[in-house]
Amino acid sequence: MFARQRSRCGNSPSNKVSAQKARQWSPERLHCLFIHLGGNDMLQRKYAGYLYVLPGFLLILLFIYFPIVQNIQFSLFEWSAFSADKTFVGLAQYAKLFHDPIFYQALVNNIYYAVISLIFQVFGGLVLAAVLEDKVFRKISPLFRTIYFTPVIISITVIALLFDFIYHPQVGLLNGFLSAIGLESWTRAWVGDSATAIFAAIAVSQWQSIGYIMMLFIVAIQKIPQELYEAAEIDGASKIRMFFHVTVPQVREMTFVTSTITLAGAFTVFNEVYILTGGGPGHASEVLGTYLYQSAFVHDQMGYASTIANVILAITLLISLVQMKLSKTGEE
Amino acid sequence: MKRILRFATGLLLIFSLATGCSTADTPKQASADPGGNQVSPAADQQVTLRFFHRWPRDPDKTYFEQVVKAFEQENPNIKIETEAVLNDAYKEKISVLLGTDNPPDIYFSWSGEYAYKFVRGGKALDLTSYAQEDKAWHDQLMESQLVPFTLDNKLYGVPLTIDGKTFFYNKDIFAKLNLAVPTTWSEFLSTLQTLKDNGYTPITFGNKAPWASSHYIGTLNQRMVDENTREKDYNRATGTFEDPGYVEALKKMQELIPYFNKDVNGLDHEFARQMFIDQKAAIFYAETAEVRLVEPKTKFPWGFLDFPAIEGGKGNPKFLTGAPEGFMISATTKHPKEAVKFLQFLTSKAQAEKFVKDVGKYSAVKGAVNANTATPLGIEAVERVTAAEGLALWLDTDLDIKIVDAYLAGTQQMLNGEKSPEEIMQDVRKAAQQVREQSK
Repeated sequence: MFARQRSRCGNSPSNKVSAQKARQWSPERLHCLFIHLGGNDMLQRKYAGYLYVLPGFLLILLFIYFPIVQNIQFSLFEWSAFSADKTFVGLAQYAKLFHDPIFYQALVNNIYYAVISLIFQVFGGLVLAAVLEDKVFRKISPLFRTIYFTPVIISITVIALLFDFIYHPQVGLLNGFLSAIGLESWTRAWVGDSATAIFAAIAVSQWQSIGYIMMLFIVAIQKIPQELYEAAEIDGASKIRMFFHVTVPQVREMTFVTSTITLAGAFTVFNEVYILTGGGPGHASEVLGTYLYQSAFVHDQMGYASTIANVILAITLLISLVQMKLSKTGEE
Repeated sequence: MKRILRFATGLLLIFSLATGCSTADTPKQASADPGGNQVSPAADQQVTLRFFHRWPRDPDKTYFEQVVKAFEQENPNIKIETEAVLNDAYKEKISVLLGTDNPPDIYFSWSGEYAYKFVRGGKALDLTSYAQEDKAWHDQLMESQLVPFTLDNKLYGVPLTIDGKTFFYNKDIFAKLNLAVPTTWSEFLSTLQTLKDNGYTPITFGNKAPWASSHYIGTLNQRMVDENTREKDYNRATGTFEDPGYVEALKKMQELIPYFNKDVNGLDHEFARQMFIDQKAAIFYAETAEVRLVEPKTKFPWGFLDFPAIEGGKGNPKFLTGAPEGFMISATTKHPKEAVKFLQFLTSKAQAEKFVKDVGKYSAVKGAVNANTATPLGIEAVERVTAAEGLALWLDTDLDIKIVDAYLAGTQQMLNGEKSPEEIMQDVRKAAQQVREQSK
C-alpha cells in the first residue's frame, strides 16, 4: 500500500500540476513527507507507520501512563494537598494499608459488589437478552429493550438521589410498600443499618446496569447463526437446553467482555455508595473508591489515597489478566 | 471484538481527557487570572480579588452579591470575583485550591482547628497588624468570637457569624403535659420519659450525615471533662483522651438513644428539623442559625432549653457549644490591603445589620442583632451565645479530622447498638496517637 502511494510522491518535473497540488496540505502530501523523512526505502516503510500512531500514543502516554507512574511515586510520600513539602516514607503507607481494618472492610464490600454484580448483571443480563431475543417475544422485545435500557442513560447521581427517597426509613417507598403488604417487620433504615447499607447500594447498581449488559448480549445473540437453533430444535432440544448449549457457548466472547466490565466496575464503584450512604454507618458500607476519596479530600492524606488507588489498579489489572488467560481470547 | 476494544480504548481516552480537563479547570482559571491583573495595573491600578465562600443558595447568595456590588461601587479600582460551593464540597475544594499556586484571595473558614490547619500550612495571612491599625473596626467585633481565629496570639480570621447549639422545645407539648423546663441531666431524662410515655417522640435526631452527633459529643465532652484536660486533649500535639470523662460522655449519649426517633442513622438533619416543625417531636437539638429556618414555619410557641448540667461533670455548665464562622485571607495574596478592606466593609455595622436582616443569621458584629433586624427569639438566641462563659467549638472542626472520624464513625455504630463507648474511645486514642506523632 505504501509503495503504491509512494509512486505519487516523485518530484518528477513533468508532473507540475500534481506537485502543486501536493504543496497544499493533504493526507497524500503528509504521507509523502513521512516517506521523505524516512529516506531509505525499508526505513520508510518501517517509520511511516509509527508516525501515524505517534499522536495517539503520546496522548495515551500523557493522560494514562504518566499519571499512573506519578501516582506510584506519590504513594511513597506522606503529603497534604495544601502544603508543598512531601515526606518520603517509602513503602510505609502500603504497610499501614495492609494493617488497616477499614481497608479490609472496604475490600470485602467490593467483593460483595463483584460477586452480586456477576450473578445479576452478567448472568441475569444474559437470561434477559435470551428471553427478549426468543421468537415468542419478537413483537414486544423492542419495547422491553428500551425499558431495561433506560436506567443506563440516566445519570447515576440522579438515580442515587432517587433511591435515597425509595430507601427513606420513614417516608420511603420501600418501607411503605412493605408495610402495605403486611411485612411491617421487614421495614428498616436500609441505608442507616450496617447490615443492609452496602446491599442497598449494590441493588441500585444492579438496577442501573443490567440493561447495558443485556444490550451487549442481545448484539452477541443476534450474531449467532440461526441454523444452530434450527438444528437444536430438530434434535428436540428444549428452550432451556438451547440456552445452555447454543446461546451460552456462542456468546462466550461477549461474556468475557461483560464480566471484565462488571468486575472492573465493581472495584471502582464510587457514586452510588458515596451519595446513598457516604460509606456509613461507621465504615460499614465503605468501598475502596469512597475510602480513597475520604483519605484524599476529607482526611487530607494524599499519599495514603494514592496508595489505595494503586491497590485498586493492581486488583483490576489482575482481574483482567486472569480473565484474559482463562478465556484465552483477545484475538477476535 | 477488536472493534469493541478499540471503542473502549477510545472511550477511555475521551473520559480521561474529560476528567483531566475538569479537574484542571479551577487551577487553570486561577492562573489565567493574575496574568490579566499584571497587564491592567499599568492602566488604572485595577485589582481583582478572588472571593470563595460556601453559600451558593439564597438568601446568602444574593446578600453576598449585593455586598460585592456595593463594595465595588465604593472602590471602583477593585473587582471581586465570587465563587461559591456548598458545605461538604467546599471543605474538599478549599483544601485543594489552597494547595495550588493561585489560591483565592479571600476564603471562608470554620474556626478552631479547621482554621488552624490552614495557618500551620502557611495559607493564612496574619491580620494582627491590620486589626491594630484600625482599632475601631476591631473593637466592634465580639472579642469572644475572635478567639477561635487566633493562634499564638495572632489573628488570622475575621468572624462573620456567631452560632451556638441549644435545644429547641415545643412549649405546647410541655404545657399539655405540665412539664417544667429541666435543668439537670436526671430531670432531663425524666422529662424525656414522660414525653415518651405520652406517645411523643422526645428528641428528633438525624445522623445520616454524622456531623450531627459531633455536636452532642462536643457538648457532653465539655460537660464531663474538666477544662484543662480537655484543652490538652484537643491540642494536636498533646491529645491522649485518657480521661474517663470521655467514656462517661459517650455513655450519657447512649442514655439518650431510647428517646431519639427510630432510624437515626437513616435520616438527615433536615428531616429531623422538619419533624420538630410538624410537631412530631418535642425537642430538637439545633444551632441558633437554624432559628431562621424553624421560626417562620412553626405554628406553635417554642423556646430554648439549655443543655442540662450533668451531675458529676467536671466541666463548666455555663459553657455553650458553638463557634463563629468567618473569612481568612490567603498568605500569598498580591493585594492584602484590598482584601482586608473588603472584610472590613463586610463586617461594618451597616453591612452586618443588613446581613442579619436579609440572611437571618447572627453577626459577630456587636449590636448588629437588634429589634430592627431580628425577631425576639433571634435576639434571645444571641443573648444566650454572648452570655455563655465560654465556647466549646464544634467537635468536628475543633479536632483533627482523623480523631473526628474515629468519633463519628464509632458513634454511628453506637447508635445502631454495634459499638460500646469504650471501643469508640479506643479508636479515638489510636487516632490521637497518630495525630500526635504527625504533629511532631
